[in-house]
Amino acid sequence: MFKDLLKLERFPTTWCPGCGIGQIMIQLAMVMDELGLNYTNCTIISGVGCTGRLAGYMNVDGVYTLHGRTLPVAEAVKLVTPSLKVIVVSGDGDLASIGGNHLFHAARRNPDLTVLCNNNQVYGLTGGQAGPTTPRDTPTVSSPAGAHYDPVDLQNLIKAGAKYFYAKTTVYHQLHLRNCVREAVAWPGFAFVDIISQCIENNGRRLGFNSAYEMLLHFRKTYKRAPEGAETLEPYEIGIVRQG
Amino acid sequence: MKRLVQGNEAIFLGAIKAGANFFAGYPISPSSEILVLAAEYAARDPGFKFIQSEDELAAANAIIGASLAGAKSFTATSGPGFTLMQEAIGYGHQVEIPTVIVDVQRVGPATGMPTMPAQQDIVQTNYGSSGDYYPLVFYPNSVEECYRYAAAAFSAAEESLSPVIVLSDAFVGHLNEVVDIDAIEVEVVPRSRPPLGTGRRFFTGLAHDEEGKPRTADAMVYREWLSKVKARHKKVAARYSDLEFKENTSTDTLLISYGIVSRVIAPLASEFALFRPIRIFPMMGVELRECAQGYEKIVVIEANDGQYACLVERELKREVIQIPLLGGRINLDLARKGLSEKLERGLP
Ligand code: SF4
Repeated sequence: MFKDLLKLERFPTTWCPGCGIGQIMIQLAMVMDELGLNYTNCTIISGVGCTGRLAGYMNVDGVYTLHGRTLPVAEAVKLVTPSLKVIVVSGDGDLASIGGNHLFHAARRNPDLTVLCNNNQVYGLTGGQAGPTTPRDTPTVSSPAGAHYDPVDLQNLIKAGAKYFYAKTTVYHQLHLRNCVREAVAWPGFAFVDIISQCIENNGRRLGFNSAYEMLLHFRKTYKRAPEGAETLEPYEIGIVRQG
Repeated sequence: MKRLVQGNEAIFLGAIKAGANFFAGYPISPSSEILVLAAEYAARDPGFKFIQSEDELAAANAIIGASLAGAKSFTATSGPGFTLMQEAIGYGHQVEIPTVIVDVQRVGPATGMPTMPAQQDIVQTNYGSSGDYYPLVFYPNSVEECYRYAAAAFSAAEESLSPVIVLSDAFVGHLNEVVDIDAIEVEVVPRSRPPLGTGRRFFTGLAHDEEGKPRTADAMVYREWLSKVKARHKKVAARYSDLEFKENTSTDTLLISYGIVSRVIAPLASEFALFRPIRIFPMMGVELRECAQGYEKIVVIEANDGQYACLVERELKREVIQIPLLGGRINLDLARKGLSEKLERGLP
């Protein structure tokens, strides 16, 4: 049962009702259950931020690293224990901003890691500041007149090397999300899953959404599956691009 | 077999002797020999893992990950890199991670004078990260001691469950001395914590209870944790109370120095009493007070502007005369000049 992979005794989680992180956790637990991953063969490394707390709710050894430092920790764990499945779960701010240098170099070195990026396009835990993935012109508490810059291009950053795995999905598309996670876990190298999700409390409401449900419907409306065999995902396309 | 060994090499060999099997680092003079030796060793021995990291933040976090995965891990750096490692050092104390960090000091702040020798990371070593923590720090002054205390650092790390620091400087690091490495006996403490992939633990940089459950608003849990850690560090420190004291009944002055400066001023033993801490942190309290008893004047000679002197002053609750040797020039003439200015002519 996937529920055996959760520390239910530590529920309720710290997350706001309607937050997308819980859905990522459930899908991850389901994939782990399917693949026989448990505390004897898997560890979860997470960073600081709302998403970072995920490792504490899973029934495997988990590490809540310093802000931005998941990848150096995870790479070392994998190097010391190649038999262990090492899964990194963290937020967009943690992975792409404060940990950006590590992301770029980890992708280049291509260690066998699965990285799930909760991409809610904002710093949720600290109250809704603009982050590296915030779309241009989006108002946040730190960009009241709209974010000044274009967001980081995660797809092309990950695809810069000769070998790569980049998946984009959303928490609305649950089966697609689960499939992306499963494929990423099976990928023998650095596999990055960019998961669009909702931070209702510190982003969604400011953008005019009344509930997490409305945000999910918005994902349903905006994100479309990429055509079969696409080598590049267009904005608002979900799918997997890889080269081994 | 006796042979010429370099200080940095002796640190690497001491680490290997202690069972080190993981190194991550970023090149920085005057510590880079240790990184290069680790790379060569990894190329010969597949059981030894090596990462040349993208920066010192990554290196310091990699040795933490490696330690959690069950390795005996270490890194080596110098001032500016050591500054970047401070966040991981604080994390290592919060999460109780045994690992070893070698800092071969050079003149700072910032890029400073690469790579003239200095002892300017003394305060940073003890207080560089946020929060309260009680690091164990060794500062050898010879090639033999580099070997001995690099190995001791790994044992102290296991016993204290914390990142232990080995301080050196550009002179000690690049010192070549004839030693018989194999004849040096060191005690090796094995790893104790089961590696990742064996339990359902949560290792977190958040304040937490015994079960690893975050307790971020509970003062009692925090205080109990901190006092437990403090007591453990004190106990381990007592096991490594290594110092050198040369009494001198013909003088009223005690000179305190450590690392390379203690080597340089060794010829002053006929004129002054000498005290040298080897386990430089936690501060030697009882030992220092005992040795200082009966000496009217206490002088600290060091290659920084009074960093250790202030701590000695606080420990002894007496005024301490400071002789800073700055700008990478560390020699006996300068030490003598400082002594005559301060002791004979009474200059401030
Ligand atoms: S602040 Fe946002 S990201 Fe954090 S738990 Fe709440 S909804 Fe989720």
